Amino acid sequence: MTQPAARIVKRETHSSRAPLSVVVAVLVTLLAVYGLLEAILRAVGQPPWLVDPVTAARRLAALPEGISPVLLGTIGVLLFLLGLICLGHAVLPGRRARHTIADPRVAIVVDDEVIASALARRARLAAGVTREQVMVVVSARAVQVNVRPTSGIRLDESRIRAAVEAELAQMALEPDPAVTVRLSTSGVIGV
Amino acid sequence: MNGTPRGLNRALLAIAGLVLAALGTGLAVLAWVPAVALRWQDWAGPQVAGLSALAARTRLAPGAGSWIWLVVAACLLVLVIAMVAWVANQGKGRTNILFQRDGAADDDGAAGTVVLSSAIAEQSLKAALLERGDLLGVSVTSYDFRGQAAVRVRVLPRQGVAPHEVAADIASLVEAMDTLLGVQVPVLLSLGSGPRSRFTKAERVR
Repeated sequence: MTQPAARIVKRETHSSRAPLSVVVAVLVTLLAVYGLLEAILRAVGQPPWLVDPVTAARRLAALPEGISPVLLGTIGVLLFLLGLICLGHAVLPGRRARHTIADPRVAIVVDDEVIASALARRARLAAGVTREQVMVVVSARAVQVNVRPTSGIRLDESRIRAAVEAELAQMALEPDPAVTVRLSTSGVIGV
Repeated sequence: MNGTPRGLNRALLAIAGLVLAALGTGLAVLAWVPAVALRWQDWAGPQVAGLSALAARTRLAPGAGSWIWLVVAACLLVLVIAMVAWVANQGKGRTNILFQRDGAADDDGAAGTVVLSSAIAEQSLKAALLERGDLLGVSVTSYDFRGQAAVRVRVLPRQGVAPHEVAADIASLVEAMDTLLGVQVPVLLSLGSGPRSRFTKAERVR
């Protein structure tokens, strides 16, 4: 894979952090616009809209007076948690639920949901059950196939596993997940 | 692969997170540790007194406010502009020129420029993909990726369709497009699922 393609794939498999950035930017903008309004009202000698900046600073300096300590502490903890969320978004890698398929010409990324539905179809055909009896969970390095057999019909776990593994081998995903098949102990009737 | 400034996003989110966490810790400590609260009041009281004295000294006219409020307002205005610029930079980077080459003297001597519009790649790929029954949605867009045009193909396959087969078909389509255009642009193929592919019935026969 060429250099720009590798960069493109890296960008596609990791989150851009755009939604939270927009939220933070909008909040900061609203706060700044409010501060702007109060500062200009003060500068032209008009009465303040909600609170005069000097009064606000005086109240801030007098903390923790004028507010119940429980409320103040709760606000502090809440702000701290919001800060942790922002920091986590900034520092964590933010991998998206996607796999890549190596190809000499095209950079290919596949959502895990698409892989899961393809594997579910294959497992359903191998087991001979209906769609509702198969559930597949795909994560970065593991594929879990849950099958609920039809009551009274024994299912062969190794056949299902072989079918799913063959499909995965054809997909040649990167990173390559390992398959686990779980047969439910209770069957379903009336399908 | 759009022009979202990812490093900037993370840096600004880190700053916002640090500021919020520091503020939160400060407020919680003020609320629950009396010694710190006393020291805060001792330190902050004179600061605010100094601020209001400064504001009174620098009054522009009797009855009007001080010019330091104008300075504060200017700083806040700069902050607002920076935030609007930050939001405006998210998700930008679409381009409508796929390929551009100036005529050279050693080529055929003709002055001029050859420009291929992105619409060529977008419309030819889209027309080819819309014929398929196993794809519920197709969108093709072009982005400017580090000075070079790149095509992003997003397809939403029906449930149960094998992604590698769709990918191989589209890769051969892209190779056909390469020979048609005579230039190779980077192509990203993204297979996903939308609400439409989630709620329509799976393909039974192919």
